[in-house]
Amino acid sequence: MSRPDAHSPIHIPLTGLLAWIVPGLGHLFIGERTRGLIFMVTISATFWAGIAIGGAGSTIDPQHRKLWFTAQLLTGGQSLVAVALHQKAIAPYPPSSKPPVIGHWLSIDVGTHYTGVAGLLNLLVILDAIFSADTATRKRPEFATGHGSTVS
Amino acid sequence: MNLLANFLYSGLNLTGIPRFPFMLPLCLSIAIVYKTARCNKLKDIPIATLILWITIVVGMVLVGVGLWILFTIMA
Repeated sequence: MSRPDAHSPIHIPLTGLLAWIVPGLGHLFIGERTRGLIFMVTISATFWAGIAIGGAGSTIDPQHRKLWFTAQLLTGGQSLVAVALHQKAIAPYPPSSKPPVIGHWLSIDVGTHYTGVAGLLNLLVILDAIFSADTATRKRPEFATGHGSTVS
Repeated sequence: MNLLANFLYSGLNLTGIPRFPFMLPLCLSIAIVYKTARCNKLKDIPIATLILWITIVVGMVLVGVGLWILFTIMA
């Protein structure tokens, strides 16, 4: 994929979009490789640890945990995979007003916190990627071109 | 593959005290992401992360102990 120029009008929105789709991808796109990899590993590990602790059946619940789900959605593509797992997990249960509780409530609570915090951390990462992509607000002088080395 | 799928569907069976250590990796990931975003030099990240992680954990333990003492006195 050819990278657009740092002054291109789509450079900043594209960085933000990539940062949302996969945590850390926005930083990789603007040339901050090490930082991007740290974000990618940390946020993905936190999110999937949450799913493993609480189980996709109840940790992700778009119908009954709307606020938590909003935070979980901020992890982008991974949250969509988790939603698919959730749909598959609740498929054997008949649709009713009361959601099926799959797993222990304490595990679900811990898992929900992990996945929600992972999403909120990715919001921080998205904003950092956007501000780092913008030459006017960049705070790290070593990335003056936007495609520099991450070694300082 | 089925084992992994079943594990991801239903999760762990956490009860009682064993759930408390689960705050440690969560606090660590918060400290890593925050300090990676804040530090201008990459070499400053590990020590800054460690200090923030210890600060968060000690702070949370102190708040927890304080609330426990308060509720014990009020009971």
